[in-house]
Amino acid sequence: MSVMFSPLAIPASAGIGLRSPHIAEMLTRRPSAGWLEVHAENYMGDGAGVEALERLRQIYPLSVHGVGLSLGSAGGLDRDHLERLRKVCERFEPDLVSEHLAWSVADGAYLNDLLPLRYDEEALAVVARNVETLQDTLKRRVLIENLSAYLAFADSSMNEAEFLAALVARTGCGLLLDVNNVHVSAHNLQYDSEAFIDALPAEAIGEIHLAGHATNQVGTDTVLIDDHGSRVPPVVWALYRHAIDRLGPRPTLIEWDTDVPVLDVLLGEAMWADMLTASIMFNRRQAARRDQTTEARARPISLSYECETTTSMPVLAAFAAARVAKRSVSLALPSLEEIYHAAA
Amino acid sequence: MLPLEHLQTTMARAVLALEPSIGAKALTAGKADPLARLRIYQNNTRSSLTAVLMAVFPVTVHLVDERFFRYAASEFIRRHPPAESRLARYGAGFPRFLKSIDTLSDMPIVAETARLEWAIAEALDAASLPARSLADFENMDLGTSPDILMQPSLRLILSHWSILSVWTAHQQDAADRHSGWTRRAERVALWRAGDSIRLVRLDRANFAFLHSLKHGLGLEHAAGRALALDPGFDLVSALVRLFGDGLVTAVRAAANSHSNSWRQS
Repeated sequence: MSVMFSPLAIPASAGIGLRSPHIAEMLTRRPSAGWLEVHAENYMGDGAGVEALERLRQIYPLSVHGVGLSLGSAGGLDRDHLERLRKVCERFEPDLVSEHLAWSVADGAYLNDLLPLRYDEEALAVVARNVETLQDTLKRRVLIENLSAYLAFADSSMNEAEFLAALVARTGCGLLLDVNNVHVSAHNLQYDSEAFIDALPAEAIGEIHLAGHATNQVGTDTVLIDDHGSRVPPVVWALYRHAIDRLGPRPTLIEWDTDVPVLDVLLGEAMWADMLTASIMFNRRQAARRDQTTEARARPISLSYECETTTSMPVLAAFAAARVAKRSVSLALPSLEEIYHAAA
Repeated sequence: MLPLEHLQTTMARAVLALEPSIGAKALTAGKADPLARLRIYQNNTRSSLTAVLMAVFPVTVHLVDERFFRYAASEFIRRHPPAESRLARYGAGFPRFLKSIDTLSDMPIVAETARLEWAIAEALDAASLPARSLADFENMDLGTSPDILMQPSLRLILSHWSILSVWTAHQQDAADRHSGWTRRAERVALWRAGDSIRLVRLDRANFAFLHSLKHGLGLEHAAGRALALDPGFDLVSALVRLFGDGLVTAVRAAANSHSNSWRQS
């Protein structure tokens, strides 16, 4: 059953990743979260979560984040999965859609992890073709996210940032800058995280991700694991500050996937991101005022932080009524039967 | 230098631990050992997919104990990795895989319970359509043998083992791992109701009745099969319960000839 939604634009402020333990509380409390992001693959069926998301979509702007399309697969896209993604977008009418610069399908197997590409012309042609297919199918621009990686390929002819910039130029896609991924990969593969961000085409970055990571010691190797299982650490906040300072405010998502805490922790992290952005922009305005005598000064990138779209919160539609079938007949169950309930 | 598709196939097989490994020369990881880093991907794949299976088969985990389940899950993942990224569909072949494990040959209840848990997982991912009431069809001519359409989440399981009794016992925390399973046929109907699953144990006649309706064979055929198994089958009660449970999503005049062919046979 399709539900009509009014368009709700994602503001250049913080939102949270919607996780199943929080759905009931989101529906009853309706906390002030700027926007929500969901993993597309969790909403390709017809379970209760899909019904819940239809209700939440009436209140919150939505971003759909794919994790399983495998845009880097040399074997091409899984057309069935692409069609399922198209249907999710048609059903929920998200304001943003994103996927990863990675591959996860090869030899007929889905690995449930995001693997790095060898960054060269061959891979660029593959990914560009797949991104174009994706954008043509969805009839919209899609944001492509940088990867957290534990290894790289010796034969790469460019780095990931150069690859992403070339992909934007070739396909017109946007970018999703995952600041935690930048830090994790830069540490694990030993490159400069700020230089990575600076090398990306700023105008293409339509969203930022923030998350926590784990630190594992394997022998003498200290490796950062992108587990999305803790608060955003200070080092990632510092890199976020660098990004916002360069880019201006962007829609920013708090991701948390393992050991998911209570909802208020996520909302607190989102509030912190908003405060940090506001303080950076305030300082920037103060500095601009001081410099007003030199009129030729270039204005910083003016993304609409102050004039963001207001997100009204309409009352939930009563579509649930159709699903609550009032029993028209009553009959005591025969003793033969036993009825149990399994929690979803 | 390997073509990209070949490189990805080789790496995927290394991640699934099907082949010793990809050549170390192709990889870099700063000052770290790239093959040690490759093991992070192996571990991510195995542990995340094991977590998926443990979430779908919690009673099965309890029946065999967690260590054995993890071993069985990692073998299943290695030999039968997901064919698609919709993980709600991953695990359909796991009950059959459990059945093929020699160690479990004297515990058939394990694979049978897994079969029930997979049906629950399928039902949770299925649509819940608006239920119709008997009153909706009061003044409608539905012919002599209408078709009854059932909730898409309805699943019917017949086992020679007491799967529902075992499943129910394990919903209580203190359930003994090996208590209560016997060779006793149990017929189970289950379907999604909101974010829960309802499970009902049925007798042969009611099971056959629901089975015929689910497969679109029409009311007359369903009633005929139920009555053949139990002459005391109460069609009115069965119908009232069907509607009362919210299982009926549509009723329409028969469009096929199943009922006629049954009548002639």
